[in-house]
Amino acid sequence: MTGPGARGAELEALEVDLLLEGVARQWGFDLRSRSRPQLLRRLRHHLREERLDSFSALQARVLHDAEALDALLRTLSCTPPALFAEAAFFRDFRTRVVPVLRTWPSVRVWHAGCGTGEDTYALAILLHEEGLWGRCRLYASDASEGLLADARTGVLPLPTQEDAQRYLEAGGKGALSDYYTRDGNWALLQPRLRDGIFFTQHNLATDGSFNEFHVIVCRDTLLTFNRALHDHIHGRLFESLARFGFLCLGRKESLARTPHAGAYEMLEDRGRIFRRVA
Amino acid sequence: MNPLGLLVVGAPRCAAADVESALALLPPNLPVPVVLALHRGPLDALAAPLGRRCALPVVEPDDKDPLLPGAVYLAPAGYHLLVDRGCVSLSVEPPEHGQRPGLDALFESAADSHGPRAAGLLFAGHEDGVAGLQVLHARGARVAVVSALQTGGAGEDGAMAQLTLGSVGGWLARLAYVPRSKVLP
Repeated sequence: MTGPGARGAELEALEVDLLLEGVARQWGFDLRSRSRPQLLRRLRHHLREERLDSFSALQARVLHDAEALDALLRTLSCTPPALFAEAAFFRDFRTRVVPVLRTWPSVRVWHAGCGTGEDTYALAILLHEEGLWGRCRLYASDASEGLLADARTGVLPLPTQEDAQRYLEAGGKGALSDYYTRDGNWALLQPRLRDGIFFTQHNLATDGSFNEFHVIVCRDTLLTFNRALHDHIHGRLFESLARFGFLCLGRKESLARTPHAGAYEMLEDRGRIFRRVA
Repeated sequence: MNPLGLLVVGAPRCAAADVESALALLPPNLPVPVVLALHRGPLDALAAPLGRRCALPVVEPDDKDPLLPGAVYLAPAGYHLLVDRGCVSLSVEPPEHGQRPGLDALFESAADSHGPRAAGLLFAGHEDGVAGLQVLHARGARVAVVSALQTGGAGEDGAMAQLTLGSVGGWLARLAYVPRSKVLP
């Protein structure tokens, strides 16, 4: 039995393929290696937001207009919406990783896929509180210039009571409000945090390793890629991580079946913090 | 009808006990993976209680874990669970209808990846899941809604079946049976 929606679905799949081909050839962003179900859902969401009828219409717009492409990439990215969105990770980082970092003279940290920077600033606050800010260099990268531009401003929606609560659950030593000044419904993060972060455009899918790091934070970023690209990127992350360095993944991401799985040891049962041991 | 490749189940929080009962009815020889999204909070432990009476193992998969027949894949807290042909795909897209994991998200991905080879079961009680089940239905998948009260005819061909907790067992048994009788030309 073939439902009435089947033909529409085939046409939609064709339109999506053409759109992705067009974006790859015109702008060099190859979205064909994205996780297909997630990509389809984000594209449909984008179509509704732009009030367009078909992916062909979206294609016409995106091919001619760099801003339309940027809006598309923005929809595809899913940054955590608040500071310390996952308190458990930051707590684990504090208890398991920070004590080791203290013993090193200098530490390079890479936040890969920083989006609009919420987790980057949370990490900066944590490193600051632990007295590591002086000898840390924190690099944050994303493929989208638009998102990076947002991140660079150091302006976030005003943290809520819940955000402040999660900051404390994450082991926060002061008050979250110490780190920003309020401007209406916005929070301006302290310049000493913002100015110490090196924001840089880097596309995990195509760009190579750009330094050697002691800590790489790449949480829930690789969910958006398909298996092949996901494994390829893990190769790059491996090359970019110093021996005995730490790789921090999302709560439900794993290194199983990736090429360098054997070179890592997992620190936490829950936190998905890995240490490169070979 | 196409041979079955996947069973997706969606349920709101209020139906958690019904889901546990329905999982107990799953045939142990079910030849397809079962993927389950249940509305949940960040701290609910669900896999163990749901698996207590179920003949199949209930697991919370990691991202990109393969989908294997004879297991129940439960959406982890805080992520949408999507299916991508032979594997799961977790997503941190924003919550929908205030929920993550969401039911529409799972049904929509099943419609994309399996189309008429999917079967969808929705436990009534929440607006989330209704639209997704309709998408599945439109792609030719076998779909059914489980509610406390019998509201319509059960299982006329082409229509969305309306089931009660009493009749869901029969529907599941027919799913398990159909592939073997239908593979033959």
